[in-house]
Amino acid sequence: MKKLQSTICLLLILGVVALGMSGCSKKAVQSGGDTQSSQQGMAKESDGAIRGGASPSFPDTSISGQDASSGLRGLDKSPSEERVGNGGNTLMAKADPGSAGRQMEEIRAEQSASTAAGLRDVFFAYDSFSISEEGRQALSRNAAWVKSNPSAQLKIEGHCDERGTSAYNLVLGEKRAKAARNYLVELGVAANRLSVVSYGKERPFCKEHAEACYAQNRRGHVVVKAGK
Amino acid sequence: MTFRAVMVISLCVSVGLAGIFESGATDVFLEATRPDFQKIPLGVAGIQNIGGSDSLEGQIKLGGRIEEVLKADVRRSLVFSLVDLPSIGIKISNLGTGPDPVFKQAAEHGVSVIVWGKAGIKNGDKDPDVNMDGYVYDAGSDEVVGGKRYVGSTSVVRLMAHRFADELVFRYTGEPGIARTKIAYVSEQGSARELFVMDYDGYEPRQLTADGFLNLMPRWSPDRRFLVFTAYRNRNTQDIDMIELATGKRWTLVSLGGLNITPALSPDGNFMAFASSYEGNSELYRLDTRTKALQRLTVNASGDLSPSWSPSGRELAFTSDRSGGPQIFLMSGDGSNVRRLTFEEDYNAAPAWSPRGNWIAYVCRTPKKDYKLCLITPDGQKRVQLTAGPGVDDSPSWSPDGRHIVFSSTADGKSQLYMINADGKDLERITFTGTHNSAPTWSPAS
Repeated sequence: MKKLQSTICLLLILGVVALGMSGCSKKAVQSGGDTQSSQQGMAKESDGAIRGGASPSFPDTSISGQDASSGLRGLDKSPSEERVGNGGNTLMAKADPGSAGRQMEEIRAEQSASTAAGLRDVFFAYDSFSISEEGRQALSRNAAWVKSNPSAQLKIEGHCDERGTSAYNLVLGEKRAKAARNYLVELGVAANRLSVVSYGKERPFCKEHAEACYAQNRRGHVVVKAGK
Repeated sequence: MTFRAVMVISLCVSVGLAGIFESGATDVFLEATRPDFQKIPLGVAGIQNIGGSDSLEGQIKLGGRIEEVLKADVRRSLVFSLVDLPSIGIKISNLGTGPDPVFKQAAEHGVSVIVWGKAGIKNGDKDPDVNMDGYVYDAGSDEVVGGKRYVGSTSVVRLMAHRFADELVFRYTGEPGIARTKIAYVSEQGSARELFVMDYDGYEPRQLTADGFLNLMPRWSPDRRFLVFTAYRNRNTQDIDMIELATGKRWTLVSLGGLNITPALSPDGNFMAFASSYEGNSELYRLDTRTKALQRLTVNASGDLSPSWSPSGRELAFTSDRSGGPQIFLMSGDGSNVRRLTFEEDYNAAPAWSPRGNWIAYVCRTPKKDYKLCLITPDGQKRVQLTAGPGVDDSPSWSPDGRHIVFSSTADGKSQLYMINADGKDLERITFTGTHNSAPTWSPAS
């Protein structure tokens, strides 16, 4: 047992050495596939970085830039009166009924178009983003529909069950959505007619804490895309 | 709550591994709460009501309310141990501004500090002011070492107690205390998830966003004035946004396309690390907040996400699934010197580097496939499982004093927020309403 453990340790050390080295030499590495070099990432500097945003303005958020009035003043033998403000406690968000309403309308439109088209969702095993035989059948059917509807755009939403972290489930959801997209492309659907988005575990179909429900939530939800 | 804290120290595997790639920079600061740290025994003698005979309902309860908040703050400070004065036979009927004769008696029972005060509402006004005076007796010097006089609107009563508690911590440790800190989090509103901010004890929640879709995983700016977070601009596009708390003003920082998640500002505010899949798969990037230069930190075909800065800002802990399931890795802030930190089980994620530098908290999947909180030292030498029992624990975030962790858990059914001490004691639920509260993040201290 002990021997096995130290063998594992040794293998892990070797693994870490390899990782450390790939980390050091990363600037020369072209990962291929759908990753690109860091140089292209750097190129974003010139167009204001962080493209497309309304304003790339970044305020000074360092502690030296803060107003000191909220600091403690210490105990005093003859204390003078200190006014306690609520630090902007009155702020309440104003709902944008236009935005919320538009979202609801678009979701309804997507759902009814998807139902009418007979689109099928893909379901995944725990921790997994590989497409099952059943999933392939569902996607074949979706591919046939989208080929016979040349103006339609499909969107694949990646979803996860509640187990695991919010953050990692967003990445897993994206992997699921992309696995479904890649299979549709294999079936001959043009990539520019397909988009993906991950909702992780943030928009579950079912909210019970049970496997029957988890299975419903591990899904690539395929919809006819509406709006932008 | 059925889950109880357990301490499981694992030996083996990672011993010395991280050390191999250690750059020599140390990120561990001296701890005020050493294992041998003796809490200072403190008694709250009472907050008396003052004011006219035409007592308002609120006035009757005012002193009691302040006393309750103050006692809870003192207990959570972990600097003081709260002594119940009546239980050791100390009864004080009428407190003045000077030391009461019974204080000496309390000191003989081992009480080091006694605090008391008075509070009242000015009647007659439409928008009355509340006054609160607080005094501190130190048994060592046998004198009243000082006090505070607060005035403010009725909406800041809890804040007065919090300020006084932080002054006590400051007086005895030189640290600012955590009673005035805030926790930002995500709360389900219908089918949407919106940002909220509340006091560290779960009171005074207020809603920051209301766009009707998804706003996720907020993080504070070092100066506590802003949050950065993931916002779904519409159902198809994800950005990283910034919001100013005082005004509600909000704008987009990163709009690259793809998945843009887990932003984290460096302790000096000079960089924002985040994960983006705009070049294919989820990779870590570092945005220089002054020059706006974007630097890619990771290059591999796997998912890299959830960066958490070390307190010096020199290093990052992050999640990566480059070795199969997600594991915690460390690297320098510029992406060099990458090494794997966790080796137990096949799912470790959501690292949060303690502001004291000595621990990294994260979500660990146990052999029974439960998602619980673990702590590991940055050199990988020591690992501790902090929570146990049913439910999915997620999103650990440290208090600025490094003594507490706030996190979400489904232990009681719906996802709610809890805090726990870094030693696994004093598990406390802090949200009780709503259908789903998640992604808590503790503000820096002021």
